[in-house]
Amino acid sequence: MNKDLGTPLLRTEALSRHYPDGRVTALCDVTLEIRRGEYVAIVGPSGSGKSTLLNLLGGLDRPTRGKIYFQGHELSARSSDLDAYRARHLGFVFQSFCLLPTLTALENVQVPMFETERCARTRRARARTLLAEVGLALRLHHLPCQLSVGERQRVALARALANRPELILADEPTGNLDSGKTGEILELLARLRARHGTTLVVVTHSLEVAHAADRLIQLRDGRVVADAPTPGRQAA
Amino acid sequence: MTLFTFVIKNLARRRIRSCLTCLGISIAIGAVVALVGVAAGFERNFVEVFEGRGVDLVVVEGGITEQLTSSLDERLLERIRALPGVANAAGMLLEVLAFEKENLVGVMVQGWAADSLLMQHLSVTAGRLVRPGDKQQAMVGSLLAKNLKKRVGDTIEIDREDFTIVGIFESFNVFENGAVVVPLEELQRVMLRPGQLTAIAVLTTAAGSDKVEAVAAVCREIESFTDAKGRRLRLTALPTRDYVSNTLQIRMAHAMAWVTSSIALFIGAIGMFNTMMTSVLERTREIGILRALGWRPGRIVRLILLESVVLGLIGAVVGTLLALGMIRSMAEMPSVGGFIQGDPSWWVIGQGFAMALGVGLVGGGYPAWVAARLLPTEALRHE
Repeated sequence: MNKDLGTPLLRTEALSRHYPDGRVTALCDVTLEIRRGEYVAIVGPSGSGKSTLLNLLGGLDRPTRGKIYFQGHELSARSSDLDAYRARHLGFVFQSFCLLPTLTALENVQVPMFETERCARTRRARARTLLAEVGLALRLHHLPCQLSVGERQRVALARALANRPELILADEPTGNLDSGKTGEILELLARLRARHGTTLVVVTHSLEVAHAADRLIQLRDGRVVADAPTPGRQAA
Repeated sequence: MTLFTFVIKNLARRRIRSCLTCLGISIAIGAVVALVGVAAGFERNFVEVFEGRGVDLVVVEGGITEQLTSSLDERLLERIRALPGVANAAGMLLEVLAFEKENLVGVMVQGWAADSLLMQHLSVTAGRLVRPGDKQQAMVGSLLAKNLKKRVGDTIEIDREDFTIVGIFESFNVFENGAVVVPLEELQRVMLRPGQLTAIAVLTTAAGSDKVEAVAAVCREIESFTDAKGRRLRLTALPTRDYVSNTLQIRMAHAMAWVTSSIALFIGAIGMFNTMMTSVLERTREIGILRALGWRPGRIVRLILLESVVLGLIGAVVGTLLALGMIRSMAEMPSVGGFIQGDPSWWVIGQGFAMALGVGLVGGGYPAWVAARLLPTEALRHE
């Protein structure tokens, strides 16, 4: 585990996101802090701004107002800096897995490493190790369509870890899984977090996923209405 | 996995579309290599007719665009031979015949003096060379003899007169193998052009690094010839390569080849653009995933451009093979066999590949730009 565990990793200041016509405010004055090693679940009804917040934290979108600090430095608005931020510091897990259909599991995991690792052999070796970690050592050369939904999400988890990110952002990671598979993925996430010391921010509707988190942030109409340790857990 | 592996997998995923695009490009590149290759080969052979004999410059009547209409006084030969720096000069009279029954058009009939330096590079495969004083006698090139199924002793009709074939020759040049050679005075007689030549081939004594300047000096000297009244003769003297490249037929062959090739390339580029644009639009979400995973726009551009360039180069390989097959089979056809050499130069093949690369970059450029500009959030929302 990281020795800096518990120190601030990500901080937002009065983060707002209005859509171009100015009439829709997806996020309004969100100020929060996420510490290293923390598992944070963002919950709220549909349209509450969860995915918008995740996109802003992940540098996929830019705020209309407010600031984001990562490791104490303000995120630049420059596209090239955001690309580097996503490539070097973040791992993404999407609800619909977002695996590339023409690539095998082994190749999909190598995709994020194109920006960080020049040596193809090293990329391949690391992808192999990660897939073994998520229990897919025997499914390396299978295409996504040849894998079960649970296996696809495992590949997505391995891919999220490809660049040894400090932060994994997951958007409904169990949204397409049944309860049995959800349990498996949660167990795997906990194991990977413990092993890699990664901070995890999950947007979810699932109570099971939310209750596994250290902290719950609840959004409603683009504002944070609650931010507290998950009931039954102590703050990290 | 490398970027190239990724590219190949993307192309293999839409096999039919990729194959059809390659086919379009291969037809375009095939047209370029075949047409430009034939035109370049035509010029190369024409140059070889002269340079193979050491001819440095060619003299024709000034202001004419078509060699057949050139008319020079045979007595000029002596004046040219007498110039300092001139080693030798040979007069030529050219006529073009058609053998309609055998579907042969544009067969060259060369009127050369029997003792001309032009005769020196012909090797006789049957019979003999024409001799001074031969009347109504001719030699035919080996390719023409084969196409006309003529042997020594047969006759050939030139301007409604039968000439007896006294020899069959093999030249170092494909044009001449498809030609007829008649004693100069005999061709002058049947063409009713006594004492006239269409061109004079001149060999200079120049050599080494000063040769270009020395040849240019002889050209200037010849062009300054005047008649008995001091009026300037209308003569054009050009170094061999300049003469050949200025020839109307060569210019037309090049122009036709490039116009046709340009149209084919334009259509090929449109096909490539269509394929790559469709591919980018279909893969909007995938491109969004790549962007979300940190891929920079430059890498997305490289991915899309590499896909279009690979399609272009595969098209170039197939197109070049098609063109080679086409040129070789055309070279075997009696009707054009005397004008076409079976192998286009590496330079022409290289041009074909360069154009395929250009088509790939042009056809894939805008789609790549569109792909690189996709916003990750919007691309990820795309279904």
